[in-house]
Amino acid sequence: MPTADAITSPETTKRQTPSKPIVEARGIGKSFGELEVLSDIDFRLEPSEVVCVIGPSGSGKSTLLRCLAFLEPYDHGSVHIDGQLLGYEQRGGMRVRARESHIDAVRAPVGMVFQHFHLWPHRTALENVTEALRLVNRLSRRDAEAEGMAMLERVGLAERAGHFPESLSGGQKQRVAIARALAMQPRVMFFDEPTSALDPELVGEVLDVMKQLAHDGMTMAIVTHEMGFAAKVADRVVFMDQGRIVESGAPETLFRHPQSERLKQFLNTWRERHID
Amino acid sequence: MLEILLNHYPVLIKGLTTTLVVSLSAIALGLVFGVLLAFGLTSRHRWVRWPCGLYRSFWRGTPILLQLLLVFYLLPEVGIEVAPITAAILTLTLNTTAFQSEIFRSGIAHIPAGQIEAARMAGISAWQTRRRIVMPQVFRLTLPPLTNEIITILKNSSLISVIAVTELMRVSEQIASRTFQPLETYLAAAVLYLAVNLVLAQISAHLERRLAGGLATE
Repeated sequence: MPTADAITSPETTKRQTPSKPIVEARGIGKSFGELEVLSDIDFRLEPSEVVCVIGPSGSGKSTLLRCLAFLEPYDHGSVHIDGQLLGYEQRGGMRVRARESHIDAVRAPVGMVFQHFHLWPHRTALENVTEALRLVNRLSRRDAEAEGMAMLERVGLAERAGHFPESLSGGQKQRVAIARALAMQPRVMFFDEPTSALDPELVGEVLDVMKQLAHDGMTMAIVTHEMGFAAKVADRVVFMDQGRIVESGAPETLFRHPQSERLKQFLNTWRERHID
Repeated sequence: MLEILLNHYPVLIKGLTTTLVVSLSAIALGLVFGVLLAFGLTSRHRWVRWPCGLYRSFWRGTPILLQLLLVFYLLPEVGIEVAPITAAILTLTLNTTAFQSEIFRSGIAHIPAGQIEAARMAGISAWQTRRRIVMPQVFRLTLPPLTNEIITILKNSSLISVIAVTELMRVSEQIASRTFQPLETYLAAAVLYLAVNLVLAQISAHLERRLAGGLATE
């Protein structure tokens, strides 16, 4: 059970010097019909930075991450990955949706882990990891399997390589999903509520893998409800509500000295639920 | 009935062979075109979905006997002369393509969108995602309705006798009119149809058991 201090005691060394961002979103907006779910969002992710996005359900956190990966096309604004515009291109003076191959190429540096794992059930754990290595990187079966086993070892699941997802626990499935994303050697990882679908006792094994990734210098954007984890691992925490970024800053500042009433209310509710 | 089978088995087997050639050709071609049509029906482009939907509605919504006659009489009208057996294979293919596409479309709809997103995020192209991630699961999921469709086509192939293809039904009619034993002859034909369909159902059940592993969707 996390304590009040768990969200106010960052362990990592925070980076201060700005550099060229790997991911940069400017003024992005997204609506589903009449419902505006993202409004004028600016977001930067610099190399080796870990940013946790927190906020109440329905605040637009997951939609933001999905727009940054162009799994949801954003309506306006721009998302650049390594300086390249993601999802759109200029044609005849108009902004049009880019070809799928162009979208794939621009977001190649991004790996993504989903709340519900989304492993391919007809493939073993190892095959889940090697599939893209073979299809995209054109590795031979032997090389792909060697690489895949290395990734499964990294997440502590080498002994489950031959198992189908149906025989793995939730935590193991999520670790395979992380290995699958890591196999493509991404420069940045997006995590969309990676522990929300897990039994409480399985959360730790996934967070441990993510902590190790952060320690290794992986750039990460993490949508999470794990406030203790955000406090310990994040360089920066972004608080969202009603499709807007309300506050953003170092975790110790954000959690100890929230500026907005909405964040104060959110943190109080969290403390009441987790400490009482 | 046994007497009919024993005395006329060479022609009955020949008729049955034609039935199998026509049906299995149509089923195999329908499998390829059915998958492609299912992709069209699930396309995110309306200009692709709309004509695919129109095709499916026509071939699913009109009687197969009418379709046979239309194809048989229409092709010569536009200067294409084909043998009756070719017209029969063509019609059954066009018909089963519509039904198989709907089976595959429902199978594709059962694959969680997140699996496809995971593939796209790994850089796997849309085509490779369909080939390696979606369709292997769809074939497993749709094996029972696909077996039903195969059996339906095999039975519907009896209608091609109307365009003078000498398959099992037409051969039976010829034997019945020669021997004046219609009941025994048609019973013999029924036994042959039933035997083939039972074998197909057994093969399908065997495949279903073999492919059952790794099908749980999250």
